[in-house]
Amino acid sequence: MREEILCEITSLSREPLRIKGFRFGTPNSKPSCVIVGPLTGTAIDQLWVASRLVRFLRQQELENPAFIKGEILVVPAVNPYSFNMGKSFWPMDNTDIDAMFPGYDKGESTQRIAAKLFEKINHFEYAVVLEARKDRAECIPYVKVLKTGYEDVNEAQAFGLDFIHYKEPTPSDTVSLNYNWQIWNAKSFSIISGKKGTLRKIESTKVFDALIRFLSKKGMIDYAAFEGAVGNVITSEDMEVVKSNAAGLFDALAPIGEHVVHGQPLARIYNALDGSLLQTIIAPCEGIVSCKYDYPLIFQNAVAFRIIKLEK
Amino acid sequence: MIEEVFSVKLPVEETLKLKRNRFNPPDITKSTKRISIVTGTHGDELEGQYVCYLLIKWLRENPKKIKGIVDIYPSMNPMGIDSISRNFPFYDVDLNRSFPGHTADFLPAQVANAIVETVKGSDFAIDIHASNIFLKELPQIRISRSNAHDLVPLAEKLGIDFIWVHDAVTVLESTFSHALNSIGTKTLVVEMGVGMRITKEYGENLAKGILNFMAYAGIIDEPMHPCKTSVSTQNSSVHFINASDAGIFIPTLEHNVMVKKGEKLGEIIDPLEGVIKESLLSPCDGLLFTIREYPVVYEGSLLARILENPCEVNE
Repeated sequence: MREEILCEITSLSREPLRIKGFRFGTPNSKPSCVIVGPLTGTAIDQLWVASRLVRFLRQQELENPAFIKGEILVVPAVNPYSFNMGKSFWPMDNTDIDAMFPGYDKGESTQRIAAKLFEKINHFEYAVVLEARKDRAECIPYVKVLKTGYEDVNEAQAFGLDFIHYKEPTPSDTVSLNYNWQIWNAKSFSIISGKKGTLRKIESTKVFDALIRFLSKKGMIDYAAFEGAVGNVITSEDMEVVKSNAAGLFDALAPIGEHVVHGQPLARIYNALDGSLLQTIIAPCEGIVSCKYDYPLIFQNAVAFRIIKLEK
Repeated sequence: MIEEVFSVKLPVEETLKLKRNRFNPPDITKSTKRISIVTGTHGDELEGQYVCYLLIKWLRENPKKIKGIVDIYPSMNPMGIDSISRNFPFYDVDLNRSFPGHTADFLPAQVANAIVETVKGSDFAIDIHASNIFLKELPQIRISRSNAHDLVPLAEKLGIDFIWVHDAVTVLESTFSHALNSIGTKTLVVEMGVGMRITKEYGENLAKGILNFMAYAGIIDEPMHPCKTSVSTQNSSVHFINASDAGIFIPTLEHNVMVKKGEKLGEIIDPLEGVIKESLLSPCDGLLFTIREYPVVYEGSLLARILENPCEVNE
């Protein structure tokens, strides 16, 4: 393992921001896979997974120098400043580094960080970024593949996760790391999981296992991983969005990953002052709860659940 | 007439409401023109508040001169304005990177969708911003190059100091102006002043410019005033001056002055070491139209923008 600084930017009053990379495999071998941890400072699950991946690869490589085939680079955290302040985005101007790709080396601070990083991580055959959901939600781990015209959705099945969201890019997706990798010829994927600001060890372990399985199946590590799920490819048409009608205290009854049936109560919403029941949210279809609103206070019309429908 | 265009209940005894004030003539036909003035999308940008006040005051005082529909939306991010939060509170999302939005998405995207749905059908829209808390801006209209042919002639009617035709970056596709221009509403973006403040002179000039625009468009019955000179970058170029090191920026010049190549714009100092880390010099002769207002900088922080050799567009 070689540890290196991929990007450094100075501060007036703090230590410099340093983005560290951990490189595995024989120097100058084929760049096979880059795995980038969280770009935001509240994605704790993703930081946990990335750091454990570094530990795993280091231990395996120490025991067997031929363990890595090609070269694997892991970047566990892109935004240490924000982690250390409990903030999601760049501490000064609140800009999201994952909205700055491919970056601009003469631009503003986060554009420069994106440019410096992208230059170092944009020549691998496979590229994976670990993401938390951007909205207030917790979700089961899934793979996101953006439809750019360059994607290969079948490759995502090697992660062995239950679901692959095959997604039309929105305008904001087009400035993400995942999108720009793909445009520049990497086979790129996001793995989305967990809940911002917390550590969900069960979901995190699934993501960790998925990464190991992917590296193993693609022949990038010499390791016998267990088989995972088939990887059901779903699009937005397969998702049922369940919104709240009322606002108040949110008491979720169905956890993420639960198989629910039509008519099943999913949550209750109570008046925040007098405790009266305002709404029981009912499952409109049969399916798997992939995503659940993650805060005990809920707005009217908030997306309370997303269900991957079983009926077509 | 004050109208509610979107409302959603909040968890504890409150309803989030987006409102507009509509002025229209007694008879509305298919040929009646409609303009929407939108501001307050970023909660820390307040310059547009004063412009809305001035426009509504004029419209209230001159009801017989109103020939078209004028919709004024002062506050598209009410909780942001109330909490000095640029982003949409609770979700910490930039509303102006959430357009066109969707009803099946989270609340900021629902708000964005509601704004698009309510402004849709307007002939014109003007989206007033106030830079941010970091930069002070000369009043300017920003137009992406792909829209320049249609929008520059309209922008000139506002009589604003400076029209900046720029090459669009992808992220701008998620803005209000892109969403509205894409569906046929000719939308101009105004940037002026600085975040968290109101610059009365800028507000008064822009309000006059908008009235001039409305007269040109037949929305109010008021003689058009000759526009003062505008400047476009179509034949000029904008230079960005970014910090190459972290520190405290001490400007030497105010903005809205002509500078010479090599003239000092400011310094980045280190208050611990007591040294100058960088002296910033103008790369060209031109108009200093942006200057940094907030002193703390990182590498890359924008310090100034200069329009090289401005060309004048006279009415």
